[in-house]
Amino acid sequence: MEMLLEEKHRTLRQSVRRFCDRELRPIAAQIDQEARFPWEVIEKMGALGYFGIQVPKTLGGAGLDAVSYAIAIEEISRVSAAIGLCVSVHNSVAVYPIMAFGSQAQIDQWVPPLARGEKIGAFCLTEPNAGSDAGGIEATARSDGDTYVVNANKVFVTNGGIADVCLIFCRTDPAAGRRGISVVVAERGTDGFVVGDLEDLCGMRANPVCSIRLNDCRVPRTNLLAREGVGLKIGLAALDTGRMGIGAQAVGIAQAALEEAVRYARQRQQFGVPIERHQAIQTMIADMATGVDAARLMVYRAAALKDRRLPFSKESAMAKLFASETATRVTDMAVQIHGGYGYSKSYPVERYYRDARVTRIYEGTSEIHRMVIAKSVLEE
Amino acid sequence: MHIIVCIKSVVTDAPRGKIVRRADKCALNPFDRPALEVALQLKEKHGGSVTVLTMGPPSANATLREALAIGAHRAVLLCDPALAGSDTLATSTALSAAVNYLAPFDLILFGSRTLDSDTGQVGPQTAVRLDIPMVTGAVKIDGFPGHLTVERKVDGFLETYELDLPAALTIHPASAAPRDPALGGIAAAFDEMPVETLSIGQVGLDPNQVGDAGSPTRVLSMKPVKKKRTCQWIQGTPATQADDLVRQLVDAGLIG
Ligand SMILES: Cc1cc2nc3c(=O)[nH]c(=O)nc-3n(C[C@H](O)[C@H](O)[C@H](O)COP(=O)(O)OP(=O)(O)OC[C@H]3O[C@@H](n4cnc5c(N)ncnc54)[C@H](O)[C@@H]3O)c2cc1C
Repeated sequence: MEMLLEEKHRTLRQSVRRFCDRELRPIAAQIDQEARFPWEVIEKMGALGYFGIQVPKTLGGAGLDAVSYAIAIEEISRVSAAIGLCVSVHNSVAVYPIMAFGSQAQIDQWVPPLARGEKIGAFCLTEPNAGSDAGGIEATARSDGDTYVVNANKVFVTNGGIADVCLIFCRTDPAAGRRGISVVVAERGTDGFVVGDLEDLCGMRANPVCSIRLNDCRVPRTNLLAREGVGLKIGLAALDTGRMGIGAQAVGIAQAALEEAVRYARQRQQFGVPIERHQAIQTMIADMATGVDAARLMVYRAAALKDRRLPFSKESAMAKLFASETATRVTDMAVQIHGGYGYSKSYPVERYYRDARVTRIYEGTSEIHRMVIAKSVLEE
Repeated sequence: MHIIVCIKSVVTDAPRGKIVRRADKCALNPFDRPALEVALQLKEKHGGSVTVLTMGPPSANATLREALAIGAHRAVLLCDPALAGSDTLATSTALSAAVNYLAPFDLILFGSRTLDSDTGQVGPQTAVRLDIPMVTGAVKIDGFPGHLTVERKVDGFLETYELDLPAALTIHPASAAPRDPALGGIAAAFDEMPVETLSIGQVGLDPNQVGDAGSPTRVLSMKPVKKKRTCQWIQGTPATQADDLVRQLVDAGLIG
């Protein structure tokens, strides 16, 4: 694969890998166990441009392309998927929609501090009664003079515990159904903006995923993205990029699991030989390596299409579906190859296994992805 | 102040002992990173610019761009088929010619050695070719402008030197923690900044001064060393095992 990439992308991978191996690897297991968000590393990442990967330099970003973005997310996730999640969600479903749908004034207000990592972004769509069915949200924004009065109960907000700039999906026209949904930007610290308790998650534990409530929270009308009624369109556009990021994240986790499995299989002896000599182990290694490679190609293809300004929505959905299913299978095999030790916290594969599982759930479940892909295939 | 840092694209992997200088198997020599860091810190303190120079094949381009991403202002690749097979002497002949081409300069920095050949000779030989003062293994550099105060640690002593400029230094790997390239720096280095390529003719060299022709070194043979390892079991309780181990190590002159 590496030979097919541009020099820029190879250099980027090496640089991100060196940074993550030095800064994140020593603490990855610990921040998972303690469910601690590592600000000390996040600040360094902010200074290096990780929070504005595709944002133009004029707005404080790194000005890189989508393939670079995918590689960066993959490499961070190879070491700490929870931090990969933080960077992915911030870049793709928080910063990107503001860039794509915001007015110049909104871009100038929010993007530079977000791109420098001085502020963290979040995407607040899911509610207790609306997950896969985004059109079923109940949050409301009632217009009152030059403000919206927002009432919302958002759950499972990635970065929620630390986010400053939150994209809130809410109904501005309760009578208009799916066409009555809009996105308003709410900032932490506003009266009525309440951060809930952290979710006690199975994986991705270093990410402060939590609920966010807005209780009669007054947000300036100028915080509306684009116009009223296009909320779901903004959401779907954001998720096209977001899914590519989740695909890249799944590839990174799977790659890490593959590397650990190979290392262990070489060193563990049973029946007088390293277990890598047993054909059953070799079969798993072959399937793992093939799956990771295919998933990576699909993610990079979606990114390359985006860089060429070609349609990439279907390819992004396929990449996310395949990469996340691959990551859960590959991490499962890595646990299997480790035997009992794979089920113990003495080895990192149990963390990969827990982290991989959610990639099939968030930013659209595998089931929803299959619906989306089937629809697009059948309509072709 | 104009600082030139000589860097090398080293081979990171030689499958089955065969060296292929392919961009995905090459990286910026880790011992050059502290030298570049020192140059950038001096530039930040005293102003001026940092040029990175390498002699190498076209694939060394990526290494120069990485140095640009880290913060160098100008990147120069001395690349010519006639350079193939250069030993350390021919390399320093070529580098000194390129340095003269880039003159005026105040300081030339080198890493202390390279990951893939590890002679440590190129820096000092280049300084001799240029007829400028050189200190190896520098850990602290001060005293600008005009002259230079350099500290160097050897054999438990701290030596301090004063040098006239221009001068050359090899930088001790522990002297500065190299910075990471910013992601925006990577974008700029690959999308916006140029790498200048020089041929040996442009720097005033003749093909017989460099490459195989200019290299007095002749490698007679090279083969991997097979180490014979034996395993000895030490028996007894943990305490007597430890005593036994210590005694054997003392007897072998390895500790004590
Ligand atoms: C760690 C984590 C982080 C998250 N981060 C965010 C975030 O930042 N922002 C945000 O808005 N949300 C976030 N989420 C929420 C996530 O996107 C939702 O959990 C996901 O969309 C699924 O919704 P649900 O949990 O309500 O499941 P449901 O929608 O209730 O689905 C339950 C099951 O039914 C299936 N199903 C539902 N509808 C259909 C159908 N029509 N046909 C077939 N099967 C169907 C689903 O595939 C699933 O298997 C996060 C979740 C987690 C766990």
